[in-house]
Amino acid sequence: MADKIVYYHGCFANYYNPDMGKSLVEVMEKNGFEVIVPDQKCCGMPQMANSAVEGARKNYDFNMNSLANAAAPGYDIITTCPSCNMMIKREGLPFFDSDAARFVGERVYDASQYLVKLYAQGRLDTRFGEIKLKVFYHNPCHLKVQNLRDSITILKMIPGIEIVSVNTNCCGMGGSYGMKKQNYARSTEIASKIWTEAKNSGADLAATECGGCGLQIEAGTGMKVTHPIILVNQAYKAFKEQDAA
Amino acid sequence: MHDYGSGKKNSAGGLMTRIPGIIVVEPSAEQSKYRAAEVFARKQPKQLKLSNDIESVKEHLREVRHEARDDNAKLLERLKNTLAGFGVNVRIAADGKEAASAIRQIAGDTRLASINKSNIVVNEIRPDLKSQGFETYIRYFTEFSKNFEPEVFKKELEDYWSLAGMHDRGLMESFAVRKKFSSLPKGDIRDYVVILGVNAISAENGDVFFLQHMSNISHDLEQARKVILVVGIEKVAKDSDTALFHTRSMGIFGLESILLDLKPNDLERFDFDGLPVLADQPERSIDVIILDNGRSKLLNGIYEDLFLCIDCRNCARQCPIGLHVFFERGLVYSPKNYLLGFLQGFLPPVDACLHCGRCHVECPVEIDIPTLIWKAQLEHYEHHKRSLKKRMLDDPEMLAKMGTLTAPLSNWMVHIPIVQYMTELFTGVHRNSHLPTFHRETFRDWFKGGKRG
Repeated sequence: MADKIVYYHGCFANYYNPDMGKSLVEVMEKNGFEVIVPDQKCCGMPQMANSAVEGARKNYDFNMNSLANAAAPGYDIITTCPSCNMMIKREGLPFFDSDAARFVGERVYDASQYLVKLYAQGRLDTRFGEIKLKVFYHNPCHLKVQNLRDSITILKMIPGIEIVSVNTNCCGMGGSYGMKKQNYARSTEIASKIWTEAKNSGADLAATECGGCGLQIEAGTGMKVTHPIILVNQAYKAFKEQDAA
Repeated sequence: MHDYGSGKKNSAGGLMTRIPGIIVVEPSAEQSKYRAAEVFARKQPKQLKLSNDIESVKEHLREVRHEARDDNAKLLERLKNTLAGFGVNVRIAADGKEAASAIRQIAGDTRLASINKSNIVVNEIRPDLKSQGFETYIRYFTEFSKNFEPEVFKKELEDYWSLAGMHDRGLMESFAVRKKFSSLPKGDIRDYVVILGVNAISAENGDVFFLQHMSNISHDLEQARKVILVVGIEKVAKDSDTALFHTRSMGIFGLESILLDLKPNDLERFDFDGLPVLADQPERSIDVIILDNGRSKLLNGIYEDLFLCIDCRNCARQCPIGLHVFFERGLVYSPKNYLLGFLQGFLPPVDACLHCGRCHVECPVEIDIPTLIWKAQLEHYEHHKRSLKKRMLDDPEMLAKMGTLTAPLSNWMVHIPIVQYMTELFTGVHRNSHLPTFHRETFRDWFKGGKRG
């Protein structure tokens, strides 16, 4: 019987970048996991940022009950979005504490963090095919503040991938913060450093876990932006093709 | 107990027996030069080893700050008695306005003041001093400009990302007591007052502590006609050792954030040394103002952790908005000061915060500023209506669903100028925002469909 994990995809993977969600599912299946995708709503962080506490509470409670039920047998929960990760792991707790929320918070992992954990246990399938790519990696604030840089470890395992630059500054997007008229100029100012760095890095594409950061990098550089989990999935597929050849 | 030397007559003719000790903590000159040079000369900071003892410093600091917070009322009482024993005039001010009035009384006819770069003076009293007719200058910047010729000091820090990582080194030894005054140092007195926010003060013996990176405080103690010390009620430590530890910690954890301020500011330029020396060289005394300004209201409430703050401003070290938020008047910026200013009622709701969480990680006493900022915003909007624009973005998922249902039309629509204009008008989303792309088939659609590539 396969191990199971619970996937909290959040809004970005569902509506804006389905490939991120698909890749997570395929990568986990490749490693012998059955992926459970329970009913879920937006994590509530955008509402908190907007001081819409009741909306946040409704979503948060719904998610916590749904995730706690799905993970009840002791399964781990994986996220692909750093902000959702922070919200369901710890940021919501001071406001909407519950047993379900604590149960959930203790078992939330970022996707790359989970892969590195599997690797440490000798359980990660490392048969990666070659992808020739120069990558600019941006570490989003919501991973940086949790000291999570596991994507770098994972991407370095993929033959052909060269991480030409790692950026750990804030990109100024902060969800929809940078889109708001009153913040737009400030956000652009904050981002300019990253834009310069990305453009000068000589990278073929940018990789970052955060959808908002990705939009910001795209906006200022025109670079193609991807999520590390998508690259991992491509590497598995590349191996399959190279193997078949 | 220190021996503060022999008694003196104070200007009121009473016997001013002693003054509390004034103790100045500085980084060693050699180390500060080396570090400053390192910052400006080296593009790529070296990877530095994490010092083992920084964690124990933090642990001890948290311990003493919790004590200072929990025993605040007792410590304040003790401090007042201690200062009374010295014959020092102590005034209690409820807010900046009261503090400024008290300063005006103390200053007599003088309307010129040198102030130190402390948030309590700069952020909380300075505006009221201005309305009282005072001209105020942060001498730190004047000293700075003197020490660094503009043409030599060409390299400015662009932003927090240019900072070299230094505070993880065992720097405790680099900050030490360099000067100790048991009476006001003799100098050529000029016609101005100095207003100094103290970094820490000992309730047990009245010792006052300053962290000094330039020489502004020493010069002011020699030259100012009146010395006025402002004590925020959270700055009271039980004894000298604790106050010294508090001050040194401020030095260690604030080392990098001061670099963010190293921009000589012409508005602060004033030549105090050039003022005429007073012929009569008056006897001088020290006045102390204990300022509450909403601090005690924070105790035993949701914001009580702000009381643990030592004002090292390490939280500013990684704050992405720090150099991009411009307030009408100069502000000693830190995420904590930003929040405190709002709670004290002189700053707008803290909406410029990105909620990146960096300040929480940086804080040596582990104040969860991001959560407190959310709480402050929520509290504010309980009593104030949120704008329609704000409410329009309450349910981003609903907007995403609408976009998905109408994709690819929706992707095309968002590029039409009139649509962008209307969006900006109704939702406040800037017309040039780079929006994400909608997909007709969501991830969940795909997952439920059981398709596997």
